[in-house]
Amino acid sequence: MTETFVIVGAGLAGGGAAATLREEGFDGRLVLIGAEPQPPYERPPLSKEYLRGESSFEEALIRPPDFYSDNDIEVYFGVEATRVDDAEKAVELDSGELLAYDKLLVATGGGNRRPKIPGLGLEGVYQLRTVADSDRIRREVAPGRRAVVVGMGFIGSEVAASLRQSGVEVAVVDRNGVPLRRVLGEEVGRVVEAIHREHGVELIFEDTVAAFEGDLGRVQRVTTRNGRSIGCDFAVVGLGVQPVTDLLADTGVEIDNGVVVDEYCRTSVEGIYAAGDVANHYHPVLGRHIRVEHWQNALKQGAAAARSMLGKGKPYGEVPWFWSDQYDLNLQYAGFHTDWDELVVRGSLRERNFVAFYLEDGKVLAAVAIGRGRDLRRSIPLIKAQRQVEAAKLRDPDIDLRTLASVQETHR
Amino acid sequence: MAEFVTVARADEKTVGEMRAFDVRGTRIAVANENGTFYAFDDACTHLQCSLAEGNLEETTVICPCHGAEFDVTSGAVLQGPARGPLATYETRVEGGALEVEG
Repeated sequence: MTETFVIVGAGLAGGGAAATLREEGFDGRLVLIGAEPQPPYERPPLSKEYLRGESSFEEALIRPPDFYSDNDIEVYFGVEATRVDDAEKAVELDSGELLAYDKLLVATGGGNRRPKIPGLGLEGVYQLRTVADSDRIRREVAPGRRAVVVGMGFIGSEVAASLRQSGVEVAVVDRNGVPLRRVLGEEVGRVVEAIHREHGVELIFEDTVAAFEGDLGRVQRVTTRNGRSIGCDFAVVGLGVQPVTDLLADTGVEIDNGVVVDEYCRTSVEGIYAAGDVANHYHPVLGRHIRVEHWQNALKQGAAAARSMLGKGKPYGEVPWFWSDQYDLNLQYAGFHTDWDELVVRGSLRERNFVAFYLEDGKVLAAVAIGRGRDLRRSIPLIKAQRQVEAAKLRDPDIDLRTLASVQETHR
Repeated sequence: MAEFVTVARADEKTVGEMRAFDVRGTRIAVANENGTFYAFDDACTHLQCSLAEGNLEETTVICPCHGAEFDVTSGAVLQGPARGPLATYETRVEGGALEVEG
């Protein structure tokens, strides 16, 4: 009997998994369900090239539009999967239709946090997750217009940069004293701060939005807890993401900061898998569960989950990695850290050409680079090795990082 | 028939692992994989970062900005985010000089 695999979520993880299943020879029924009307696409350009009008939507598609019909993948785009019944092994769609599955992949991704701020529903107040969101913001962009960006995480930082590059006057409100502090820490956060200041972004720190206000249902100003009133033509809110797990509420699937999966992307219910932004995945190298909201993880973990569904999976142990382009600078991060006890810098923070290593007990947990992508790539084996490295060697630009990684190997 | 342009002395010191040259107005990167030279467009087909500033792992070149990977022997994309293949060029060594098709 033909098996049916259903994938809920048609982003990079889900769409990529569908492609992998066919490429790996799955010849059963394959159904791909996505809440958005478009075929699977990549999100990184939405805050950057696409938002600035420098790239087309077609360039963001992960496969040509015909790929799905050509590969006998049944698609439900613009359709929401509302509920999974793990006893009946069926997915319920918003149309009421029920789809039976033998194996199910949950790749529903994240949804933007929507804090209860008065006026959040006014016209001209945007969020950014989908191409439709990016299109709405694009329509507001024109030189001399004024925008308030709320939250200076990676999305907020990239949107602020793209808007400035398009001639928009930008003010940012962030509750922290330094952008991206939670991820990058004080020193590197200050570098990002200085870059934005130089590009004319007004930075309002240690403050939060009290309300979006305006007449006739349209935002005209943003007021803050500290009593600021910032006039604007539009606003973009980027206050983080939460995993979309509602559809699993009636199942036995363990949910804890997303869908909990093992190193093979298997959930606590047999036959149900998860990958991408929604998955809180047991990372075999790091020895803990992590949930990663980035492009590389969606791409590679989606493919890994597909192979697991076919019974030929391997533990997924890629070192998390992402980039963030802001203005003419390329920032990259690899690894995973929440705390660290030493920051070792190779290169110069001041000149914005560096790779900085986050160490704990002398082990490299993660690295961040600006303008130094070659070294960042060479740091990944060091992170994977999970062994102590001399700080002086990390700092010395004359030492090839690859030799440090290979020294690590020989000491095993 | 292809015409060749001399770009450098064909030794480790001048080429190193990878280096970009101007060949009749085009930036062309040359990768040296154990003494075999491969030439290809220096600009990544994704967002035009210089591939010569990236990494060479055997015959795979990795973009320093966004991690796109190409096979330097064919120009084929091995890993996104790049979609389009790289143009590649013939190389030859004549009398100790590295020449690239231009």
